[in-house]
Amino acid sequence: MMKKDLKFVLVLVTALIFAFACGKKEKEGKKKFIIGVSMLSMQNEFIQKVAQSLEKNAEANQVELIVIDAERSALKQVEQVENFISQQVDAIILNPCEFDASSPAVLKAKQAGIPIVNVNSSTKENPDAWVGSDDKESAKMAIDFIAKKLNGKGNLLMIQGYMGQAAQIDREAGAMAALKNYPGLKLMTSQTGEWDRAKSMALMENWIQSYGTQINAVFAQNDEMGLGAMQALIDAKMKDKVVVVSVDGIGDAMKAVKAKKLDATIIQDAENQGKKAMELAIQLIQKKNLKEKSIQIPFQVYIGK
Amino acid sequence: MNKWKEIIFKSQSGGIFLALLVICFLISTQTSRFLTETNLMVIFNQVSVNAILAFGVTFVIISGGIDLSLGSMLAVAGVVAALFAKSDSGNLWISIPLALLTGAMMGAVNGWIIVLSKVPPFIVTLGSMTIARGLALIISDGRPVSDLSESFNFIGNDSFLSIPIPIIFLLITFVFCAILLNKTVFGRYVKAIGGNETASYVAGIPVDRIKCWVYTLSGIFAAIGGILLAARINTGQPNAGLGFELDAIAAVIIGGTSTRGGKGSIIGTLLGVLFIGVINNGLDLMNVSAYWQQVVMGGIIILAVVIDRFYQNMKK
Repeated sequence: MMKKDLKFVLVLVTALIFAFACGKKEKEGKKKFIIGVSMLSMQNEFIQKVAQSLEKNAEANQVELIVIDAERSALKQVEQVENFISQQVDAIILNPCEFDASSPAVLKAKQAGIPIVNVNSSTKENPDAWVGSDDKESAKMAIDFIAKKLNGKGNLLMIQGYMGQAAQIDREAGAMAALKNYPGLKLMTSQTGEWDRAKSMALMENWIQSYGTQINAVFAQNDEMGLGAMQALIDAKMKDKVVVVSVDGIGDAMKAVKAKKLDATIIQDAENQGKKAMELAIQLIQKKNLKEKSIQIPFQVYIGK
Repeated sequence: MNKWKEIIFKSQSGGIFLALLVICFLISTQTSRFLTETNLMVIFNQVSVNAILAFGVTFVIISGGIDLSLGSMLAVAGVVAALFAKSDSGNLWISIPLALLTGAMMGAVNGWIIVLSKVPPFIVTLGSMTIARGLALIISDGRPVSDLSESFNFIGNDSFLSIPIPIIFLLITFVFCAILLNKTVFGRYVKAIGGNETASYVAGIPVDRIKCWVYTLSGIFAAIGGILLAARINTGQPNAGLGFELDAIAAVIIGGTSTRGGKGSIIGTLLGVLFIGVINNGLDLMNVSAYWQQVVMGGIIILAVVIDRFYQNMKK
């Protein structure tokens, strides 16, 4: 009986403190902005570089940054944005996981009146501002490079990103459009490597089994996958006969290009994407009129020089 | 007051209820954003899919089984629902019943195989988990199914009487399951089978038929979850619900349902689901990194069960 009463008191006390906590007044934070950031996946080196750039520029602008990893899940991303809205952050920077499925996150932020900036990838719902690069252009540059290397003739394989993500859709469209200019280049097949190095390496190993020496070139829609394919080709002692080009310009890929293992990487400027996204977010918080609602950061072909 | 004491101390889920209160208190001391109406709505909205899966699998676990194929069945149902809910050609009167039927059929097949082959449910549903995931990828061609109709989107994102629709689903399924488990012959049979299967046979309970129904129910609830999830992100994703079965099972266990079968409660499962949801939300609000969240969550799952055991022993 004693024990039970003791527990009852415990519950009462908990409930009281609980009620007290409910009525607790808002603590005034420091006089700077809070920006919530949800990133596609921190396992991805390029995305990490964008996040680092955001962090660097946040510090320079006296902004408190909350960076969360959505771990490739659009649902997680939507929930993270809902939590940002609950937290009443001043602005949200979103690096969308998927074109359609991440779209509700943008809609919810807009409905809550919190400015939202998409970086690097798009959603169906238009955000208040957008920073990124035209992914179609990057794929076109890659195909042009391959065509030049092969003198316009040969068999090509394409490793796709995560199906349905804006970058994948655009890079595929860009590659297909560019291929029309090179009737001698034949796309044998394409398959998703889910932006992932290990998955693409396994995919390439299987392709080597099925296509063997017919393969002349591989276009991977990001560097992680390009590096995976490159490794599989090196292991099969075929790399010197196959041109591999990928997109993003992450550190590992640039090193591989310098070492003459990867043929080229199309550099996407993570540094500037992060910087511009931060600038736009701050301007939106300060309710300034934006000069441009969408900012394109151009690509460059990197061949180790 | 005595009645409340009774509920808190005597019921199976008293321990988890206390733990939930303590966690809520701890979080609210750390962030003032936690105990706001909008945030509580956000929590309920976010846990709705997990809750519905967990309600279904509560029956399975009480009957002494397990269902690992929840997340995959959810994906299949979500993709089916999305394929027939396209904005141009879709019809919700076909899409939703078809998705539910798909879930029911997959669940029934699980049940049949388990009953007929006597292979442990863990292994059968481990296999069907992979099969269903493959089916989801096949029927969607590996791509997210998007361009869904406005009315489908409504299910996941709109409100009725200012209550978000997913929460309404949560409440309806909660009441349905609580009645089914506690007030019907079916519920009594499920508990009896989990408690002692041989004795149930001897007592004349149609054990095989009940078991089939339990897995069918689990499939139907996975399908409801799949429809809600697809509507919430307005896309049918073949890779949706990866690992959801583990969240649902964790919630059931935290809620005090015995993994050996025989006893458990729906209210306990709801509390377990809320417990997980509150911790996820709270840690997000406190800006704890997602990686640490997983460590904390795993620790808390073990701790909650240990506390609950301790509490049950004290009661005796």
